[in-house]
Amino acid sequence: MEIEKNLEILNACRYCPMCRHVCTSGLLSNLESDFPRGRGLIIYHIYKGVEEYSPDLVNSIYNCVLCGCCWSNCEGGYRMHELVKSAREDIVHLGKQPEAAKEIKDSLIEKDNPYGMDKQSSFSASIEEKKSDILYYMGPEVNYKNHEIARAAIKIFNKLKINYTILKDEPASGKIMSLLGYTADAKRKAKQVYDRIMKIRCRDIIVSDPLAYDAFKNDYKGWGFNFEGKVRVLHISEYLALLLKEGDLKLGEIKKKITLVDSEYLGRFNRIFEQPRDLIKASVNANFTEMRCSKEKLLATGEAAFVFKGRKFSDGKKLGEKICSMAQDIDAEEIVTLSATAKNNLKNCPGPKILDIAEFVAELI
Amino acid sequence: MKLDRSSYMFDMILFELKDIVGDEDVSTAESDKIAYSVDYYWVSELWHDRGQRGPAPDFIVLPETAKEVSKIMVLANEYKIPVTIWGGGAGSQGGALPICRGIVLDTKKMNKVHNIDLNSMTVEVDTGIIMEHLERELEKYNVSTMHLPASFYCSTVGGFLAHRGTGVLSTKYGKMEDMVVSMEVVLPDGRVINTLPVPKTASGPDLNWFFIGSEGTLGVITKVTLKIHKIPEVRKFRAFLFKDLHSGIEVGRKIVHSGLHPCVIRLYDNAETKSLIKRVLGIDRDGAYLVYGFDGYENIVDLEMKYASEIAGNENGEDLGRKPGEEWWLNRYKFFFPPYCFALPQAFGTCDTVATYSNIENVYWEMKSVVEKNFPEARFIGHFSHWFHWGCMLYSRFIVDNPPSDPHDAIQLYNKIWNTVLRAAMSKGGVLNEHHGVGLKLGRLMKEQYNDSFMMIKNLKRDLDPNNIMNPGKMGLGV
Repeated sequence: MEIEKNLEILNACRYCPMCRHVCTSGLLSNLESDFPRGRGLIIYHIYKGVEEYSPDLVNSIYNCVLCGCCWSNCEGGYRMHELVKSAREDIVHLGKQPEAAKEIKDSLIEKDNPYGMDKQSSFSASIEEKKSDILYYMGPEVNYKNHEIARAAIKIFNKLKINYTILKDEPASGKIMSLLGYTADAKRKAKQVYDRIMKIRCRDIIVSDPLAYDAFKNDYKGWGFNFEGKVRVLHISEYLALLLKEGDLKLGEIKKKITLVDSEYLGRFNRIFEQPRDLIKASVNANFTEMRCSKEKLLATGEAAFVFKGRKFSDGKKLGEKICSMAQDIDAEEIVTLSATAKNNLKNCPGPKILDIAEFVAELI
Repeated sequence: MKLDRSSYMFDMILFELKDIVGDEDVSTAESDKIAYSVDYYWVSELWHDRGQRGPAPDFIVLPETAKEVSKIMVLANEYKIPVTIWGGGAGSQGGALPICRGIVLDTKKMNKVHNIDLNSMTVEVDTGIIMEHLERELEKYNVSTMHLPASFYCSTVGGFLAHRGTGVLSTKYGKMEDMVVSMEVVLPDGRVINTLPVPKTASGPDLNWFFIGSEGTLGVITKVTLKIHKIPEVRKFRAFLFKDLHSGIEVGRKIVHSGLHPCVIRLYDNAETKSLIKRVLGIDRDGAYLVYGFDGYENIVDLEMKYASEIAGNENGEDLGRKPGEEWWLNRYKFFFPPYCFALPQAFGTCDTVATYSNIENVYWEMKSVVEKNFPEARFIGHFSHWFHWGCMLYSRFIVDNPPSDPHDAIQLYNKIWNTVLRAAMSKGGVLNEHHGVGLKLGRLMKEQYNDSFMMIKNLKRDLDPNNIMNPGKMGLGV
């Protein structure tokens, strides 16, 4: 069993309620089985052979949104999300995964997006792929749903005369499959992506999607596809912050109170906190204000929320409402996000303008 | 009524519950039955650890209003179904365990902050709110309840009321029970009552006290108005080391009786100084570690710190300075996270008690002595953490590193230690518990503690809950 690799986490978390106040899935349903302690109790009995994965127990494991809020608030530093991921691998191995997870995986394999959308509707469908130093990698949400973010990135590249390319029919990174427990499928997808990228012979991959970024930076190495020393992987906020530092990017004036929504997969798992802040603060007259839960204490934006109660995740708006409320507390006029997921989950926030970091920069150059 | 899942009556009652709170807010999932069958009580954890399923609820319901709670209680009375109230499930006494199955009424969806009255300095709030969430709301107005216990992150306001919780700042701001202004309570028969709008009256008995500490056996507290305080300008700490425990206790007592108003006094015995203080704060010294703190206007705090320091110096305390004191404050919750807290396979019990200053040292030595004499496999440690005008609280613990592997044998040993140590405490003027409550764990000793007066509690229970549906099997009130 994969969970055996995480027994230390299991033993620490199964009776500990100390992260209850921050657990995203637990606070969505308020049911004990949706908090880390509940999951620990369940997984321990699976491990001991007392229980088998029934649909109810499987749901509890898939209801976790893998945001790492529990880990950030744990004095012992236990990574419950790793235990959950290993439990999902076991569930997939047993063929007991929720139907929604299987549908998402099948869609990713066939259509390179988790939404079942036709490939023709992607931003990258009409792209002419070419050899270039810079590869812009969007990720499925931007590629299929938030074309405005891709357009903003392209506007910046063009303005700065950066020679870039995009993968035609951009393949998914494999990250979502991996998070759903389909490690073997994720590795197969990763090989396709890796081979395509290496063929382009780019120097840098500039990524918009925090999940893909995390995959390229961390997972690919373990799966045998190491970019290190060959290609530099940068989130678009990192890349633009570098340009700013080197004096190649200058931002214009914005007289607004601006705040930033940190990303779990950039910030919490990859420590990218300062670069997007540097960009916002570099714009002339910007009044940057932190929300109460920021940086390490960030709230989940739902980047890895795919399945809840056995169905496709539909509570993203509730996650957005919490962040919106924090932004309203500080009277923010503009909320900058770092993923399309965060932007989409915040779109009903009344008042402030919501825009991705690429859009923010594109408006000011 | 004994519910059988295969009976159509199960579905009939399930339908009625869904009709009250909505489909989404009733769970009969196996995952929840496992999760609600274990709270923070060692025996429930042991049982789970040994691969056993503890008693589980038939239904978990999550009402959002007192009206919904009322309807659930009416239904439960009609069918005579046990109802166990669940807040954060972080209680160490087994108080939230549904040992007679039936309904678990989870309060966490009753989590609204209704009114923050900055004129009267009160907050009216639903009792299902997690304490940290309440404090986060209050923080916006630069105020606080000042109730900051170890379970701050995971327990609900209702949980603290149910077992008379105590926070780390209790020496200045009181226990949870001292913070109550008024309450809304749903009685076992479904009636919704309100206590008087203010607590200090001469208008008859204070009804708040019927329910505070009743651990869900007499009703469901659904809303409460609590006192709040301005966040102080400063909060400062200082630590001292004493060669012996007696000197430390004397310093605490003298600080309280000198007219100073410390927010914190905490004194660790030599054993706990050598183990937990070393492990969490990295201070490796022999002796009794004492930390105190004051808060308020800086000028006044500095003056109080100066006088307290003189008292500690007069008892030959070694001044460790501000930093170790402040480190302690910053790490005050760390003691309760793994790997810093005690955990299975160890057997451990927090036998917190409270007594007058004249008795508290005798209570400590007697408890320590009976544990060490009768149970060579156990260790005893303690600290004194809540200091009142008349006495202080002893947070003592026993730890058995290698309890019997057979869970039945382990429970027998565990209960034997508990009975022995608490009888020792009571023999010297202590009580069963100071802030964790009674629950399932200590119910059997309630009659010994109260003697004939326990009849008054039993009669109250019988009058308010004649069908005994509310949290049966707890507090020694029978099933």
